Amino acid sequence: MTCDDVRPQLTAYLDGELEDDRGSAVRGHLRGCEACRTAADAEAALRDGLRALPSLDVPATLWARVQAELAQAEIADAEKPRWRRALARWSPSTWVTPRFALASGAVAVIVCVWAWRYTHRDLPAPQANLMDTVAHGVVKTPRWAPAPATGDQNDVATAIAALPKDASDEYATATAELVALAQTERTTWPEAQQKQFDAKLAELQHDIITADEGRARHRAYRTLIRYLERATTRAEVAFADTRGTP
Amino acid sequence: MEMLYHQFKRRVFGMAHRIVGPNDAEEVAQEVFVRVFRGLAAFRGDSALSTWIYRLTVNASLSHLARRGRRQEVGDETLVDVPAAPEVSRDPGLAARIERALVELPPGYRAILVLHDVEGLSHEECAAILECRVGTCKSQLHKARARMRELLGPIGGANA
Repeated sequence: MTCDDVRPQLTAYLDGELEDDRGSAVRGHLRGCEACRTAADAEAALRDGLRALPSLDVPATLWARVQAELAQAEIADAEKPRWRRALARWSPSTWVTPRFALASGAVAVIVCVWAWRYTHRDLPAPQANLMDTVAHGVVKTPRWAPAPATGDQNDVATAIAALPKDASDEYATATAELVALAQTERTTWPEAQQKQFDAKLAELQHDIITADEGRARHRAYRTLIRYLERATTRAEVAFADTRGTP
Repeated sequence: MEMLYHQFKRRVFGMAHRIVGPNDAEEVAQEVFVRVFRGLAAFRGDSALSTWIYRLTVNASLSHLARRGRRQEVGDETLVDVPAAPEVSRDPGLAARIERALVELPPGYRAILVLHDVEGLSHEECAAILECRVGTCKSQLHKARARMRELLGPIGGANA
């Protein structure tokens, strides 16, 4: 054991806080090292000197001063409006516990994560697709125009319109515009294809209504939008069992 | 209320006296007791009552020092009325020298020396009062004593 090992342990050794083997090792070093023994003597003398410091006399006026300040504080309390007294009772020092602080922190983290995910959610770019469509010169009716084929479809469109107004609004707008486009195109198609289109449209709209709010509904909207884009721009055949141009 | 005051007055005043110096000790002790009596109803019992009161004392003393600025706190004239130790081991002037050196210490070192060595509280109690770990408390005490030895020079014929 060297002096560098012993010096940091002197305080604990002198206060009797070292376990037997470590205490014995320090004691053994002190027997043979005069410098460390001198340091230990000095620290022991300091410790004893601190312990021997006399107890101080408390001024006789202290209690009277405490009482006077307490009385003054009570008078000030009485003059406070009731709402300020109530506020003081609920000041953080009385109810903020470590557990409360931890719970508050956890809630704050959850809210931040939710807000971040909400603002960075995976949205398609319906506006961009619509711009492409507009570029093709076929946009005529910008608002929602439900397929006229059946009474059921009108009900479905109404149901979609009645869905809660939230982040799905952008999808609903895009869908409405594409349905309007598709209706225009539809008039040029053979009757069989019109029926298939109406059936598919009703099915996809039904999916939107029955999907859970949030991501599932967004997915249903995207499926319908992709279908309508294909139908209106004739990028590909829109009907599963009909080959050729609609 | 008065009983509580008499139970803790010596230690509260003693701690305040040795941390902030004699001039402001009464003011700090008064502040501590007012806080104790006004906050007693809200005391949750998370720690011992004594720990809570000593924590208020140390915090009030350190805050007082921070407000006032260390340099103004003690001059030589303030040490004149420090009573001599009833029993001085090997160095007759040691008590006065220690009191003088105490005020030269940084407030944090002063607080741990007063709590552990002067008031004789355990490391566990000191850690609870200072709201730190026991290991930190021990390490601070070691550093505080080393600094004191530097300030005091040779003690009782021993060279630091």
